[in-house]
Amino acid sequence: MSWIKLEKANKLKDKFDFVEVKDSNGYVSVEVPKEKLINFLEFLKSDPDFAFKMFIDWTIIDHGPKENPRFQGVLILYSPEHKERIIVKSWATDETLPTLTKLWPGAKWAEREAWDMFGITFEGHDNLVRMFMWEGYPYHPLRKDFPLKGYEEVELPSLNEVERGDQLEGMFNYSRMHTALPTLEDLEKTQKARLPQKKSQIVLNWGPLHPGTHGTIWFLFDLDGEYVKQCDIIIGQLHRGVEKIAENIGYQQFIPYTDRMDYIAAINENHAYVVAAEKMLGIHEKVPPKAKWIRTMMAELSRINSHLLWLGTYALDLGALTMFLYTFREREKIMDIFEGITGARFTINYFRIGGVFADLPAGALEAIEHFIEDFPQRLSDYETLLTRNRIWLKRNKDVCVLTEEDVYDYGLTGAVARASGVPYDIRMIDPYDMYSEVDFDIPVGDVGDSYDRYLVRIEEMKQSAKIVKQCIDKLKNDFTPDDPFFLEPEDPKKLKLSIDGRGLKLPAGEVYASTDNPRGELGFYIFNKKASIKPHRVRIRSGAFYNLQVFTKAIIGRPIADAITLLSTIDPVVGETDR
Amino acid sequence: MGIKKVGLNRNVKPQSLIEKLFFLDFMKGLKTTIKHLWRKTITIDFPYEVSTPAIRFRGVHGLRNVDGTEAEDFNSWVKKLKIKPPEIGETRCIACKFCQAACPVPELFTIKAKKLDVPEDHPHHGLKVLDVFDMDLSKCMFCGLCTQACPTDCIIHTDVYDLSSYTRRSWVLTKEELSRIADDFIARRGKEKFDDKSKWRQDQQIWPDYDKPRAKAWDGWIPSYAPNYLKAKSTETSEG
Repeated sequence: MSWIKLEKANKLKDKFDFVEVKDSNGYVSVEVPKEKLINFLEFLKSDPDFAFKMFIDWTIIDHGPKENPRFQGVLILYSPEHKERIIVKSWATDETLPTLTKLWPGAKWAEREAWDMFGITFEGHDNLVRMFMWEGYPYHPLRKDFPLKGYEEVELPSLNEVERGDQLEGMFNYSRMHTALPTLEDLEKTQKARLPQKKSQIVLNWGPLHPGTHGTIWFLFDLDGEYVKQCDIIIGQLHRGVEKIAENIGYQQFIPYTDRMDYIAAINENHAYVVAAEKMLGIHEKVPPKAKWIRTMMAELSRINSHLLWLGTYALDLGALTMFLYTFREREKIMDIFEGITGARFTINYFRIGGVFADLPAGALEAIEHFIEDFPQRLSDYETLLTRNRIWLKRNKDVCVLTEEDVYDYGLTGAVARASGVPYDIRMIDPYDMYSEVDFDIPVGDVGDSYDRYLVRIEEMKQSAKIVKQCIDKLKNDFTPDDPFFLEPEDPKKLKLSIDGRGLKLPAGEVYASTDNPRGELGFYIFNKKASIKPHRVRIRSGAFYNLQVFTKAIIGRPIADAITLLSTIDPVVGETDR
Repeated sequence: MGIKKVGLNRNVKPQSLIEKLFFLDFMKGLKTTIKHLWRKTITIDFPYEVSTPAIRFRGVHGLRNVDGTEAEDFNSWVKKLKIKPPEIGETRCIACKFCQAACPVPELFTIKAKKLDVPEDHPHHGLKVLDVFDMDLSKCMFCGLCTQACPTDCIIHTDVYDLSSYTRRSWVLTKEELSRIADDFIARRGKEKFDDKSKWRQDQQIWPDYDKPRAKAWDGWIPSYAPNYLKAKSTETSEG
């Protein structure tokens, strides 16, 4: 586990007398009063013994309306030199916290989200507006006293009722009342609040419904001629409050909801959540090896699936239609495999806390092997079409360079970080499942431009194919049909672990576990005050969310046409950014 | 495990002057597309040609009836929940509501049992039968957790996937409709999915072997459905 050791954290105590160190099953956290927070973090960031340079996540826990102080800030940092992570906590007395944007510019969106969801003010933040909801929305939905279903206060009759006079009232599942909705004025206010000072003449709106934005993202470009002077992004059109749902539902029951976050790589989302829950229960090492190999194999297939969609749409956006058709052909095969093994093509829900829900059906390994043997040939076809094509080079080379500094400041992860020369891969740093047993390389880019991000992802597909091949060999030769695919707990009374997950309790404590999603590091921070069947707080650290944030910086000074290239190479999925 | 450096001049050669002058990059690309021009079509001509869903496919739900293939503990579950022992052809549902407890959207189920209205000396006095079992599929995520929670293997997923309709009302399936769907599925493909104790068969196939249209996407390749694992029985305990 790549976490700071308790002894090392205790050294901080000697240096600063106000630091409190806590240990929850190896997940060491330090607590600092908010007045001292900035000084303490400056030390953590710059001291060579600690060097927690990389920003991972910054969020809030609501301890409930009866507690005082009620809100607690939780910051997760990573040290690339020492390969360890740390949690820094600070109580938000008077519902305020100091801003971290001076230390890590990547905290900007995290703080906006905390303001939006919890109503915490960050002193010194340059433009603290809402992240997902619109300006003028009266509530802070992740507070514990906000009901799960919201306040139904707007009348919104069906058009069938208004226009055609259908009698719908009382019909099953139909209600005229709806929770608050933004009006056109609200949206205008939101838009103005995002770019309070116009720098040039034109503000160009791109999205939210534009095929090039790969989902519902609303971009605002402040344009001087063709060049972008200022940019901001309005997201939240797909916000469903997944974190709120997680707090109101059982652990296993939440897995289908994670499918619907990053729907392109649903298996990887399941994987991250399942690994986090298993680590909290302390059973991750005990999961049967067969289940672990199956999970590793499926996760890598899903990565290929996701990257194929990325490649197809990316090429389509830059004008190469053929690629889209070719990659979708291969995707179809992977979807067929998923359908046969798990029962669903898209929202898969195959992994369980403690293994997988069923063994592989007959012919599964054979089909995967057939696909993997055929795949390198297809990939080289794609590369012939794109890699050294002059148009492709012109559109991608030296476009929107992201430096190593940006990676640490903005918490960039996944292929975006690796293309900038940072070998940050959770599969290597903190191996979960069987990643410590397989052999693969981490592709690392040179310059950090769009072309490198393209090459890194292409290489990642090759490496994934290599991992899948190793998994097939291992499964074929070392296992029998009778080997368990789901963990049987030693004492079923103590740990109610079942495939359908009724009554599963997780202990008190906290855990931050992440996996390497095709879109970056997907982390789940689970916090429990006492052992319970529902978590107290689940924070989803979305790689796509933080990667998208750097868009607003990288696009500045570039022509508007590069926006498409940059967005495609960052490759966000709105289901995950909005959650 | 290691780090592989990629980039122009690292693993990709930049374009040479000859390539630039004679448009060789375009030629190579055209060669690839022309190669693909002669390949067979991979798309299915829906709706004239239909691919059969895999046997594990999670489609519209069904409620199985008693047909003599229940698991051994079926009768003890019936006794435990004080349900009238079902005859052949009656539903297996014992109104235990485990499906609702396992569901991520519990409000989609409406399950009610009622007491039988029989005189005191009747053997079924004090026992219950299933009265209402409504599923609102417009709220359903088809995650399969209900089928895995069911102790009597009553609620199952079928391979029916077309459930579009004009009204919200018709997404609410009653127990009669659910039974009909399950009967139809069991008659068609029951043997493929379940063994004689209603558990999933060990030798389920990844795709049905009679599914010819699907093979088109795989360039005509059909798996041989050989067992996945080469070792049949474990001779030694496998090491982690």
